[in-house]
Amino acid sequence: MDPFVEMSIQFAVPLALLIATYFTGTAFERRHYASIRERELRYRSLPAVTFRSVPPSWKATECTLITGSVVISVDYFKRFLSGLRMIFGGRVKAYETLLDRARREALLRLKEDAVERGYHAVVNVRLETCRIANARNSERVAGLEVLAFGTGLKLLNAP
Amino acid sequence: MKFDPSLPEDGINVSRAHPLREALLLVGGVVAIGAAAAVAVAVAADLAVPHIPIELEARLFSGWFDRGVEDGEAIAPRERLLAQLLNRMARHWPENPYVFEIAIWDEPEPNAVALPGGVIAVTNALLESVESENELAFVLGHELGHFHNRDHLRGLGRGIAFSLLLVAVGVGGGGSAVQLASLAGQFAQRDFDRDQEIEADRFGLVLLAAEYGHVSGAEAFFEHLPELDEPPEGALASYFSTHPVNADRIQALHAAASEMGWELRGERQPLPSLRPTR
Repeated sequence: MDPFVEMSIQFAVPLALLIATYFTGTAFERRHYASIRERELRYRSLPAVTFRSVPPSWKATECTLITGSVVISVDYFKRFLSGLRMIFGGRVKAYETLLDRARREALLRLKEDAVERGYHAVVNVRLETCRIANARNSERVAGLEVLAFGTGLKLLNAP
Repeated sequence: MKFDPSLPEDGINVSRAHPLREALLLVGGVVAIGAAAAVAVAVAADLAVPHIPIELEARLFSGWFDRGVEDGEAIAPRERLLAQLLNRMARHWPENPYVFEIAIWDEPEPNAVALPGGVIAVTNALLESVESENELAFVLGHELGHFHNRDHLRGLGRGIAFSLLLVAVGVGGGGSAVQLASLAGQFAQRDFDRDQEIEADRFGLVLLAAEYGHVSGAEAFFEHLPELDEPPEGALASYFSTHPVNADRIQALHAAASEMGWELRGERQPLPSLRPTR
């Protein structure tokens, strides 16, 4: 094959993917952040705190396990950026927004679960992350789960 | 205890940086490093190659390349003819240390290659398209030029050194970085090849003039093989082709001929048919 054509195919496909995923990734991110901000405002009066025990002034009547989790993956463009970062070092800025969104989304889902089930507060909130391996190639990460969990409380004197 | 429902400021855990700016910066860095490393590796290979003794070269590469001797009887006369012509040309290079061998490859592209160890391979397609002994002599002289300048090793040395570089990058970074580095390296390598081809042409001309007293046939060789180096479209095209487009080489050929006072016209020797007898 003509080397020029060969080279074009070799590089045009990844380049097209890069451009496409940059735009889709940016659009998804903008929409997700808008949703996160709106819901954070809506649920901000529900305390989700890291106390390990119920504060003495709260009169709790009922408790249960409340969870919220989200599974995320990296788009092609962000993976490309992080691949380059692996050479030069420094902040992997491309992943920061991704993980920020995942943590906030997991906490929001926890709060939504609590509200839906009539709980007034969640204490002892913890965040866990867990890698999901790619079955075909266990070296690579297929995704990441962020799990938020805590103890939901029904209170006589809701704060 | 009172609960404070205020939200943290947005973006505390997120760096303010445009992803495209970041991409440009990183890609630029990789390309610059890749190109610099490729040039360094190529220069190192070029410096090392002249110090490889020819006996070592012959020992290292003997049997590496397919000499393409198929059903020996039918091919033998053609090989003998080529070897005789090659020896006549090589006689004008008295300090030649090689013992050359001829290989005929059955490939559809007209081409000739100088291989480490002193093997000159020509394709059937090339043998079928040359129209005089002088043209063929020029092709062989050109390949002798590659041996004289030790280009055949340089290319290989660069290739090996460059693969090592790619492996190093591949270990350190992702697949995309390897692709970028290899692109940068290909650019760096192509440029060396162009100069090497023109140098080899010049050496071929010296031998041609010494053998026949004129350099007729050299230009004809390019004219008969327009498909050998058909220039692709676009300004970058001649940069992408391994061989400089024929126009470049013909121009260099004219310049060399007028500089050295070689006659571009002259009587050409006929050539017996070089079609495979099957």
